Amino acid sequence: MHRLGFSTGALALSDFRRALRTLEEQPVQVVELSAVRESELIPLLYSLGDLDLSQFSYVSIHAPSYFSPKAEAGIFEALYEIRHRGWPIVVHPDTLHDFSLWKKLGNLLCIENMDKRKRTGRTVRELELLFQEFPQASFCFDIGHARQVDTSMTEAYLMLKKFSSRLRQVHISEVNAQNRHDRLSFVSTLGFQEVTHLIPSSTPVIIESIVSEDQIGAEICRVQNALRGSVARPKAG
Amino acid sequence: MGDPSYRTLDLSRRIGELWPNIEATRDLSNQKVAELKKDLSDLDTEDISVVVQGSLGRGEFTSDSDIDWYLLVDGIADPHHHDVFLEAGKRIKKRARKDEGREKLFATLVSSHDLIHYIGGEGDTNNNLTRRLLLLVESIPLTGVITHERVVKNILKRYLVEDRGFRRVNGHHVPRFLLNDFARLWRTMAVDFAYKLRARSGEGWAIRNVKLRMSRKLLYVAGLLACFHPQLWFDDPGDRRIYEEERFQPEVVDMFHSIFSDYPLDILAGFLDTAELHQTALPLFRAYDEFLGVLRDSDQRKHLETLSEAAAESDPVYQKAREASHQFRDGLLDLFFGKKLNLLTRQYGVF
Repeated sequence: MHRLGFSTGALALSDFRRALRTLEEQPVQVVELSAVRESELIPLLYSLGDLDLSQFSYVSIHAPSYFSPKAEAGIFEALYEIRHRGWPIVVHPDTLHDFSLWKKLGNLLCIENMDKRKRTGRTVRELELLFQEFPQASFCFDIGHARQVDTSMTEAYLMLKKFSSRLRQVHISEVNAQNRHDRLSFVSTLGFQEVTHLIPSSTPVIIESIVSEDQIGAEICRVQNALRGSVARPKAG
Repeated sequence: MGDPSYRTLDLSRRIGELWPNIEATRDLSNQKVAELKKDLSDLDTEDISVVVQGSLGRGEFTSDSDIDWYLLVDGIADPHHHDVFLEAGKRIKKRARKDEGREKLFATLVSSHDLIHYIGGEGDTNNNLTRRLLLLVESIPLTGVITHERVVKNILKRYLVEDRGFRRVNGHHVPRFLLNDFARLWRTMAVDFAYKLRARSGEGWAIRNVKLRMSRKLLYVAGLLACFHPQLWFDDPGDRRIYEEERFQPEVVDMFHSIFSDYPLDILAGFLDTAELHQTALPLFRAYDEFLGVLRDSDQRKHLETLSEAAAESDPVYQKAREASHQFRDGLLDLFFGKKLNLLTRQYGVF
């Protein structure tokens, strides 16, 4: 059974405290503290000492997904300050400009595969180039992004095969036509089930589906169903 | 595509014979594709891809070739796609010497849905079949590489996942579903040749006849060789594993995608580039080079475009091209009924 949890950003936009309170009553073991918006980062980092995260066996931080190159050094320094916690820092590769900075994070730098709007990090080929630059970096496999880029799930499969030794965590949600993180549907579940057998049960799975509090339980069920990976094809013959 | 060290060139070097027309058309194709990509770069957006096929998609472009293209849409419908289509058309036209063909196959908007969902059945029109298989075997995305790849892989997935015999442990690993569609494409092109002869009162007979015997046939050849590839390389234990597992392995889709990323002539060259097949390769590539030489020569090409069927019998240009096509055919018969492919050809290509 995979350890499941949520991104705080999916539960309460810009309000990580409320998101964590919501999770107190839920059967989740992992969490991703989201600072996807640049303005969220410093308040989150300042609050880390006050947060009760004892419920979670795994914590990661999602770095801002957009900021100006001028802000890069400051954002890096703020994240570098918390490296002693040993939490993976999930980054969108298109935000990395000064590679020499981010290399200092070693395997705490957790590179996420991107959606189709981006110009990098979308495919195995593009990720390989990034991992050449960041040989120690770990991998956050976003199955929704991978499916959006290639609905045949070939890229998703190859990512899980080629970067298995780097795989640190998984993001799961349905990335819809407007690039928003939706709840899993029947069709996205079928796609996900084609590759989820390749995700080790020890890998933390972070749900990014945007849900209200009363939808959390149902979404966890949908994710568990997708992770069961039940699409072994009938024997040929 | 467009690698400066491509398989046909490698074969030519190893055999020690130059094929200047193949090389020249390849160079011109690469140049034209690079120009077009630059022209269209600001039109690049998610879910659509400007795709070229035809001679440019095969790497056989000449200065008199037309540019066969369409706008492939794989996503939510947006009325602005039509604006992209019009703008792309304007820019492509500036780079083309001729207008697009008359069969409504090109210079249009194409939805991925028909290509992926209608394989066989009433919805699979001649145009849909042709676009789908040409997308696999002779297409280049000028924009939207990701979109193009996604559609190609989904088409391949349908052919390969739904082909149970292909994944059978004891038996040949030949994707019969895909192979049969390549056979259908080849026969459709041959039947359409007769249809166009009637519909156009014989106009353009000679040039279409020569193309049918050479470049159209090459597409079938490339399709067959791609389909035979898994069986021919079945000795590799890693390859064997990907067919034998119950769960479908997307590596197979990726492998076919990789094969079809080569130009058709390079698929043929890649297969023939072993010492024991170099003698088989020689007449095939000499003939193909001769054929491209005729198309590259504006006078000869224009002559064939207007030559009537009645006059062709004694026409030296047509007879030269016809002779090359016979060499090509005989070389293919040697290849497909030779030691290596005989069994597969008889079992999958005939009965």
